[in-house]
Amino acid sequence: MSDLEQNKTDLRSVSQTGFLKILNVAGIYGVVVLFILLGIFLQLLGVINNFMTASNMLNIVDAVSMLGIVALGMAFITYSGHFADLSAPTTMALTGIVAVQMLQFGFVAAIVSAFIVGTIIGLINAFAIGKLKVNPIIWTLALNYMTLGVIRVIWANKQIYPDMIASSEKAVELFDNIYRLRFFNKIALPMIMLIILVFLFHFVMSKSKFGIQLKITGAAKKSAEYSGINVERMIGAAFIISALTATLGGLTVTSLSRVGAWYNGAGYDFKAVTAIVIGGMTLAGGRGSIIGVLGGVLVIGLMNNLMTLLGVGTFSQDMIRGIIFIIVVGLNAKSLRNLGRDDA
Amino acid sequence: MKKSFSLLVVLVLALTFAGAVFANGGSESSTDAAGSGNLEASLALAGQVDALTAADGQPLIKVSGTGREVPARPADPEALPEDNPLHWWDMEFAGWNSTKKNIPDSPKDGAIGKKVIMIVHGDHPWTTACINGATKVADVYNMDFKALSPNWDLAVQNQMIDQAINERPDLLLLIPLDAKTAPQQARKINQAGVPLIMFNTLPEAEAMDYCIAWTGPDDFGQFRKLSHLWADKLGKEGGVAYIQHAPGGSPYFARYWGPRSELAEYAPGIKVLDAQAPGFEADKTQQLVSDWLTRFGDEIVGICAADDSAQGLGISEALKKAGREDIVVIAAGNSKQGMDLVKSGDIYAITYQTAEGDGALAVKTAADWFNGEELPPVRYLPQHMITIDDVEDFYPPQW
Repeated sequence: MSDLEQNKTDLRSVSQTGFLKILNVAGIYGVVVLFILLGIFLQLLGVINNFMTASNMLNIVDAVSMLGIVALGMAFITYSGHFADLSAPTTMALTGIVAVQMLQFGFVAAIVSAFIVGTIIGLINAFAIGKLKVNPIIWTLALNYMTLGVIRVIWANKQIYPDMIASSEKAVELFDNIYRLRFFNKIALPMIMLIILVFLFHFVMSKSKFGIQLKITGAAKKSAEYSGINVERMIGAAFIISALTATLGGLTVTSLSRVGAWYNGAGYDFKAVTAIVIGGMTLAGGRGSIIGVLGGVLVIGLMNNLMTLLGVGTFSQDMIRGIIFIIVVGLNAKSLRNLGRDDA
Repeated sequence: MKKSFSLLVVLVLALTFAGAVFANGGSESSTDAAGSGNLEASLALAGQVDALTAADGQPLIKVSGTGREVPARPADPEALPEDNPLHWWDMEFAGWNSTKKNIPDSPKDGAIGKKVIMIVHGDHPWTTACINGATKVADVYNMDFKALSPNWDLAVQNQMIDQAINERPDLLLLIPLDAKTAPQQARKINQAGVPLIMFNTLPEAEAMDYCIAWTGPDDFGQFRKLSHLWADKLGKEGGVAYIQHAPGGSPYFARYWGPRSELAEYAPGIKVLDAQAPGFEADKTQQLVSDWLTRFGDEIVGICAADDSAQGLGISEALKKAGREDIVVIAAGNSKQGMDLVKSGDIYAITYQTAEGDGALAVKTAADWFNGEELPPVRYLPQHMITIDDVEDFYPPQW
């Protein structure tokens, strides 16, 4: 180890704050446990009620399952060192409205069409960012606006309803159940989707060859290129995965709201990035995990739940979420600087 | 060569600009062109306008028949507690005691062929329906009618106002995007000599001085009435929570403080447990309501929402999940989702908020002004509560 590297390592160990130490040692699940302990403590003091109940815990996971689905896919983009997919909201809206429109040909046609459209958006992003090397933030933001325009032009700024378009009542019921189907009358389908995606994506990101190559691409793009990794394909694949999970999120949110509309999915870009960053994935790429992102999603759910149980107002809740995001990004950037990577 | 080309480009641009300016200057108000002979023909169209219907089969133009009882303004409404209905006098009755300034006289030459520009607040299916309603009336009068949308951007709305003033329309219709900025916008239009009618969203009271009239829903009145239905259903007691509209606009106050201040007098046994503004996303509303059920348990017996679509669905899903269908829900309506929820019994009552009627009433009021009719400072859409008993009358939905 060179002197310079040694100095950086020493500096890192000295400059770690208490919170960062907790994060580094226990990971995001340390924070999850801290929030749960805080809830139990407040319940014991009689400040809040019914926090530590099975139904409340299920509510928390239920409430963030759609966010989790979108965040898990977007995490591949962050992992590849390309920050985020800001076209996710309109990908959700477009795939949702396409599905509703295609319900006239049945449920299967609706789902297949939505995924075809989602894949096309993913391919467009993959080509522009992977091949043409356009800045991912600028490109996905522009695509977001463009897609929004496309939806408004095609559907004349109107919203469409599954039950007024579908070929049969059965198709409407099936579409309705994407969000509403519950197993054992408790566990909603989006929760099951989330769990399956966690296992699948965890394997892909941390165990597969693709995951390892994506990590190298995110951590050191030049090195990845020199070592023969097809970086363009890696980046492209990350954007396609993100578009596909946005499609799944879009179908779920459209099923919940029972309407195909341009505004479905609004805000999911920032919410997903927040979960990813809180989950310990660095925006500079190459560091973090799917399990961490799940932890970030759970922290958001717990935080929302505790704040409402405490009677914190909506605007104060937004402020607190923003502050936590800034703190985590700040700590993340500091940690990266200590590692000699000040590009976060 | 390069220099000559640059000069040529500059010259072409300058000529194009000059041409545009002259063309714009030529596009003047059609007042003179319309001529006074229009008046009789315009007045004769009243029956045709009255016969228009909205997409839901309801009459397109409905003016609140009985008018609104306006109580005397307290000396200082702000000094009264917030749960006193009179605290909200300046907002609820904005326009009723306005001192009109520099309002142009009606040309009294009929509405046919008039150039009318409508500037709305932003793109939304509601707005599309509103413009459809306005267009139906404008078509009857063969108006040169144009609708502009700033897409929720105040700076763009201000630019559109400048653009509209330059076009010299016979009248401008405006949904103010921001209540506090509305007086500046209204003053500017007024000083430019363009007749103005504001509609849908209530501006700050001062803006009313500069416009001919304001038209739109009586949001406060609707919610006061809706709260009576709610309280009666609840037996005038129990804990309730409010899901609010986006802060800043008049619906935020009307749909929260309207019922809350009304019930403080009508049903003081009803206790307010919480009020939150989660926005218009069903999933966020669902989480909020689930958390409320955890927090308040059996204490919560009623929920009042500012929106019957996304918020209504979020509430309904949370209640179903918790098996709490005993909770009485009311909301501002009347979207398709909201009406479906009324039909299925998930929502007890919603307000009738005709989007097409809102736009149509604004254009009709403009036509009445061109026809020389004496106008009240405020024209409300009628109040109506939709329940399971009459919800079928409002299908198909307007948006």
